[in-house]
Amino acid sequence: MIAPPGPACPPLPTSADECVTEGGRPRPPYARTLAAALADGSPLGGMREQAGAWFAARGITFGVPAAGDAAPIIPFDPIPRVLAAAEWRTLERALGQRVMALDAFIADCYGAQRALREGIVPARLVYSSTGYLRDLVGVRPPRSTHCHVAGIDVVRVDGAFMVLEDNVRVPSGIAYALVAREAMLELAHDWISAAGVRSIDGYATRLRRSLQRIAPRPWQASIAVLTPGPYNAAYFEHRMLADAIGGMLVTGNELVVHEDEVYCRHQGTLERVDVVYSRVNAEWLDPLLFRPESLLGPPGLIEAWRRGNVAIANSPGSGVADDKAIYPYVPAMVRYYLGEEPLIDNVPTYDISDDRQRRHVVTNLDRMVIKPVDASGGYGIGFGRLMDAAERAATAAQLDAHPRAWLAQEEVRLSRALCLAPDGGLEARAVDLRPFVLLDERPWVVPGGLTRVARDTETLVVNSSQGGGSKDTWVLSR
Amino acid sequence: MGPQPLTFAVSHHTLLRYSEAVAPSYNEVRMRPRDRGGQRTLAFALITSPPSVPRSRVDFFGNTVHRIDIGDLHETLGMAVETVVESTPPRRRPALRPWRRPDLERDARLEFALASPRVPLWSVTAGILRDWVGEDRSFDALVELATRIPNQFRYSTGATTVDSTIDDLLSGGAGVCQDFSHLFLALARHAGWPARYVSGYLGPTGELESTAGASHAWVEVCGAEGAWAGLDPTHGGHVGPHHLRLAVGRDYGDVAPHRGVYYGTAKAAAPEVTVRVTRMSERAARTAERGTALHWQQQQQQQG
Repeated sequence: MIAPPGPACPPLPTSADECVTEGGRPRPPYARTLAAALADGSPLGGMREQAGAWFAARGITFGVPAAGDAAPIIPFDPIPRVLAAAEWRTLERALGQRVMALDAFIADCYGAQRALREGIVPARLVYSSTGYLRDLVGVRPPRSTHCHVAGIDVVRVDGAFMVLEDNVRVPSGIAYALVAREAMLELAHDWISAAGVRSIDGYATRLRRSLQRIAPRPWQASIAVLTPGPYNAAYFEHRMLADAIGGMLVTGNELVVHEDEVYCRHQGTLERVDVVYSRVNAEWLDPLLFRPESLLGPPGLIEAWRRGNVAIANSPGSGVADDKAIYPYVPAMVRYYLGEEPLIDNVPTYDISDDRQRRHVVTNLDRMVIKPVDASGGYGIGFGRLMDAAERAATAAQLDAHPRAWLAQEEVRLSRALCLAPDGGLEARAVDLRPFVLLDERPWVVPGGLTRVARDTETLVVNSSQGGGSKDTWVLSR
Repeated sequence: MGPQPLTFAVSHHTLLRYSEAVAPSYNEVRMRPRDRGGQRTLAFALITSPPSVPRSRVDFFGNTVHRIDIGDLHETLGMAVETVVESTPPRRRPALRPWRRPDLERDARLEFALASPRVPLWSVTAGILRDWVGEDRSFDALVELATRIPNQFRYSTGATTVDSTIDDLLSGGAGVCQDFSHLFLALARHAGWPARYVSGYLGPTGELESTAGASHAWVEVCGAEGAWAGLDPTHGGHVGPHHLRLAVGRDYGDVAPHRGVYYGTAKAAAPEVTVRVTRMSERAARTAERGTALHWQQQQQQQG
């Protein structure tokens, strides 16, 4: 029996606009759950510690341990992020559309380059992108799909979702979403069944199916999950996904290419590999073609792929659509390739290599967030508002000197969600959402995703590498 | 009667030594001449030791790449390329039209007007361009640059290495054809011209029967009409029938003649490369061409 929020319920901070109305009441999708979580005798207070112990016992980590320590776990907040059925349907369609356009763009970059000739996306940005692997132009991957898995970062600004970043190289985080759900099912099963939350269990099955579909021999597809290794921050995820899809977890030195076919060394024998689900950036996949110093992929892998003897997901070269300097043009891609109006907007973003836009950014620096184009994990981000005069001058000089290396976005006010404060009370912290999209014949969006939470009430960056935490993300079935 | 073709025989031998046996090794070589205009390859053979069956593909820039995999343990890998190339002098010197930037921005050749890994476009090279030719962006200005480079910098083998940068050339004041070509590419790209790196050989000129030594490198620039013209910033001026093209790319990194990866802890010594280019008589050239044709014919007869 769930008690309605009564006088015993502490006042809700209205700054937590993701969960709370301006009048201080829980928003409708949250009503039942908050009532239960905040009722007398609720287990909420102890849940963070329980969840931490639960994660630690299962070796669920993000990042590499400091000497002598256990690997860190992502701080977990037990108050779920809840999305209503209707708002999810809108978001789902918008993300599917976006990933279809990104996939078409990747295919175009490695095909006829129509959009570049017609000036839809500036050719100079593609040709100077580290994600554009020109030696792969002309290769058509199996089923002509490039972007099998995408993680699109969205934020809610003034009530509406906007895309902050498209991750199509090696998006990580789905495993954390899956275990967050497992933990919640363990700790608060009643809340989940009372709210009517859609299951996210289908992810692994769907992923396996879409990988099988691109195998050169679909009747006996053997799948290898290629990980950079145990020192990679997302190694736990690689291990978990390999398990879940029935694949082998391999590092680059366990794969070997012989006569353009790929094998895995396994207990003294060689086992043929049909599909590589790669969690290694493409520039590191094949030392013969790309970075010669790489030990993360076997020499000859790309030629084996080019000849159709092995499938690789995402297609090598997909990173061109992940370049933050190209992101401003994604809405134009939607219009161009799909002939549709984009269903979700970008955060206003400026192309620094365009002289006019750069001048605008420098004059309005206090409203801008400056990001390096080819970094991830929230590293190197600068908020103009927080810079002193010297830092502003240095930033302006940097943008002038290396315009292609930077991107500027208007600082937006991320929505805030209720979180359990260190003192056991409630506080509002900035959140984003990374839903995962699988592109098979049509896009499929896992109902949920990874909600990332800033590490405290002041911080605006939510990346796990920056100490951010996570929440279970619920999509209601009705 | 047009100009008479010249014919050259090229021997290009590469020996890789490892400090201990390695296996397997995977190699990609760009050693097949790339024909264009007056250049025609009459015969080509690539033999490796240990033996292998090289497979070929064409890379993004249109160069032929041979892939050589050696599965058995080996301490050395020898690659011998023998080619016969015919080269006809152009009828007239090219004169190219500069691009309108908006046209170039939508053209695939824009790629060659942007910075590339070994040709960064920084203010120091932009300054050199201004000092040398002012605001002139014509093709004549490019010829002037190609002429000026060998007068400003000393040609000296050993002053730089295969990994040297444009900065090394500028600070040391000396370099080789690779460095001169990279500097030219930076200047031409600052000036808004698509310009690419060419690797190849320099055949004997004048009375010489043959030249021995290493490979050569020069550049090509593309005009708005779509034609490419070769300039040699090492010898200062236009290229001639003695410039035998191997491969083209944005810079040296795209055309390196050999790239390889091997399994094992052995260390690889710097490759030992010998190149000899010999002028052939008309008759010897035809024989070589027939020889190749005959060889092909015989190979094909061995099938069903």
